[in-house]
Amino acid sequence: MVSSAARAADCAACAGSCQRTAAAGLVPEKVALVGNPNVGKSVLFGLLTGRYVTVSNYPGTTVEISRGAMILEGRAVPVVDTPGTNGLTPQSEDERVTRDLLLERPCTVLQVADAKNLPRALALTLQLAEAGLACVLCLNMSDEAESLGVSIDVELLSGLAGVPVASTVATRREGVARLRAALRHARVPALHADYGRPIEEAVSQMVPLLPPGPVAARALALAVLSRDITLGPWLRDRMRPQDLARAEEVAAGLARSLREPAALAIQRRRLEAAGELAARVVREGRGALREQASLDALTTHPLWGYPIAAGVLYALYLFVGVLGAQTAVGWIEEGLFGRVLNPAVEAAVRAWSAWDLPADLIAGPYGLFTMGLTYALAIVLPIVVTFFFAFSVLEDSGYLPRLAVMLNRLFWVMGLNGRAVLPMVLGLGCDTMATLTTRILGSRKERRIVILLLALGVPCSAQLGVILGMLAALSWKAAVVWASAVAGSVVLVGWLAARILPGEREEFVMEIPPLRRPCLANLLRKTAARVGWYLKEAVPLFLLGTLLLFAADRSGLLGRLQRALQPVVTSLLGLPAQSSEAFLMGFLRRDFGAAGLFRLAGQGSLDPVQAVVSLVVMTLFIPCVANLLMIVKEQGARAALAVAAFVFPFAVLVGTALNHALRAAGASL
Amino acid sequence: MRPAESERIEEMCEEIWSLTEMGDNTVRAVVSGSKLSRADEALEALTGQGLARIQADRAFLTEQGQVIARAIVRRHRLTEVLFREVLSLEENVTESTACEMEHILSSQVADSICTYLGHPPRCPHGKPIPRGACCEVLRKELRPLVVPLPELEMGKEGRIVFLTAAGQQTLERVASLGIVPGRAARLLQRAPSVILEAGRTRVAVDPEIARQIFVRRDPAV
Repeated sequence: MVSSAARAADCAACAGSCQRTAAAGLVPEKVALVGNPNVGKSVLFGLLTGRYVTVSNYPGTTVEISRGAMILEGRAVPVVDTPGTNGLTPQSEDERVTRDLLLERPCTVLQVADAKNLPRALALTLQLAEAGLACVLCLNMSDEAESLGVSIDVELLSGLAGVPVASTVATRREGVARLRAALRHARVPALHADYGRPIEEAVSQMVPLLPPGPVAARALALAVLSRDITLGPWLRDRMRPQDLARAEEVAAGLARSLREPAALAIQRRRLEAAGELAARVVREGRGALREQASLDALTTHPLWGYPIAAGVLYALYLFVGVLGAQTAVGWIEEGLFGRVLNPAVEAAVRAWSAWDLPADLIAGPYGLFTMGLTYALAIVLPIVVTFFFAFSVLEDSGYLPRLAVMLNRLFWVMGLNGRAVLPMVLGLGCDTMATLTTRILGSRKERRIVILLLALGVPCSAQLGVILGMLAALSWKAAVVWASAVAGSVVLVGWLAARILPGEREEFVMEIPPLRRPCLANLLRKTAARVGWYLKEAVPLFLLGTLLLFAADRSGLLGRLQRALQPVVTSLLGLPAQSSEAFLMGFLRRDFGAAGLFRLAGQGSLDPVQAVVSLVVMTLFIPCVANLLMIVKEQGARAALAVAAFVFPFAVLVGTALNHALRAAGASL
Repeated sequence: MRPAESERIEEMCEEIWSLTEMGDNTVRAVVSGSKLSRADEALEALTGQGLARIQADRAFLTEQGQVIARAIVRRHRLTEVLFREVLSLEENVTESTACEMEHILSSQVADSICTYLGHPPRCPHGKPIPRGACCEVLRKELRPLVVPLPELEMGKEGRIVFLTAAGQQTLERVASLGIVPGRAARLLQRAPSVILEAGRTRVAVDPEIARQIFVRRDPAV
């Protein structure tokens, strides 16, 4: 596997860019952290960079990239933390971002590896070598490896791979100083895999056709031969049409002669080569044979996994729905905004402007500050903060993939796979944000189904808080009727959508990382990053929504809508006429609508059946303005209109059916 | 018909079958891709005997031609599975020998091999193996050595022999997680999703995908 001659060839092919970074002994210009998923990259990133970190989405994606700087010998060296990846031929949006970051401009790669799983890491090292990138290899979590009886001959590995190797335990800050020192000696790994005659021939035909880039032509050639379509635009911008056509011919020729997809043949050989190298440096002692730890096995147990999942979701609700949505919102909305900020702003605006219009626009019942900002900052922000913190705990502990395993079959009925658990759970926090994260789903069909289901039947935590409060005043029977009506609707609509919408369900393939204790600093950093995103992306939508409502109110549209809604509310749903106002408000804020019902129930205007019917309709009802605008942004106005046009009559239909069924059965709730 | 001539006919039928699978059955591809000398004449002989027809510059097998091709492709791919995955022979050995064996094996022997291998649906390269009479009844008189992953005993390890996942994307995704032929995989759980461990990487997959991962059991177990 080791061949210095081949390495020299790689370097010559990489258009001079790597000589700069490969020159040992210099402080690197720029460092990128690269590694397989769940190897502790971001914890290490936090240790290396300290406080000055910015998190942004990679352009055109939802993938978060952390950037910071580390001080090396008095110089600030920019560091970027890339999403976990298994290779440079991307299989997901995350992996694509990592590849693009490396393709953008040359940098020194700090590869973080899970010391327990060296063969898998070395398969990636091999690809970095093919790309001609100067690397340092960090064997992280070496304590876990040790306790499993896995020992690695670091000296030998460093010699064979031709790169500095450092063992670390990032969570205990061990080995970081050594790692920083090693960065000066980063080199292109001396690893080389021979892919056999047909592939190697195709590579040598491909190399002269390819444009110069920051990565070596061998890596590019292998990617093109693997039919990596995501490279298409990059190549089209840089290659002459005749070269492009010739490259396509070479790839097609290889596909014909191989009798299996080239990507597979290449990956297979890489894993073989990595396995051979690992076998020379890894010694597995006693205790290496690991049985599934008891708790770990229980979390995906076909029977016990479900109560555990229910318990975790209940804890999530307590933290977000009670602590966030009730306690924290109480302080901030009623206390800070209700008593201090809103009166102050209103007074200031009225003093400044004699006209009603600008004053109302800022501080009226539908004012940008009194409604838009209050809603965004006083009600949703505390929920979002607690939710994202809890969500990061679920993520970092490794529990989310286990939840996906448990719910995979249920989601399968709805044309989805277990991965959809992420946006669906996120929807319990904020449907608007969950709608955005549907981008992680593999197919267009799944994205559309999840967006529809989020809009239909996943109550956000603000709404859920009010609904549960109202149900608590009724009876457990009422709660059961409400929950089954909503859950039944979601499953039914999902099932129908899976059959009606064109396209395919993506097959479920998910890595299950070991359960781990999350690292607090990392949790806080992640939460801060996501809250920052919320402030930047979602708050403008809340303001826009408020503006629309303000305009509707001023033009008299709001009143007319309310009157138009009345017959539906009274005759079909059997509810009092005043409740139509609550439904309209529910369009702006789902919880506000529920709060309107809460007030009606408190006044004794709703009997138990009416209360349950109105809650079901409110839950299924049209998504809030912000969510609808997000659907427009993600799927286009037509899709948003289609969602609204379906959800509204469907909610009324379910409510009508429930009303008549409960009345006919003479149910006492 | 001389024996050599019948082999040429069989080879040509096989060639058209394979290229049709890949959607590249143009006359040019058929003639240039064949390892027969004077492939154009062989193709002509096929059309002359009513085994193939040319239409809009593409070669198609007639029903009669398909019968021949199905049998020969089945024998070839079964031999490949046997050599590559059970006897662990190198690709260059298996390919040339499979090319000879395909003309010799009787359909009875092919059915026995097929049963022994557990009626594999695909060859090591992922191409479908035409079903034979034995597959219809799925007799289980011979305990198959190669089984779908979920049929392993819980906690036991098997060597991955081949994957038959329909989509190339799925194949590549599991490959990037280290699930490729030749590696060991351990079954950890069957429901609600199948969980397997390859190396130290644990992966959950749909039961449907798991059933497309075929592993060779340790015969000692």
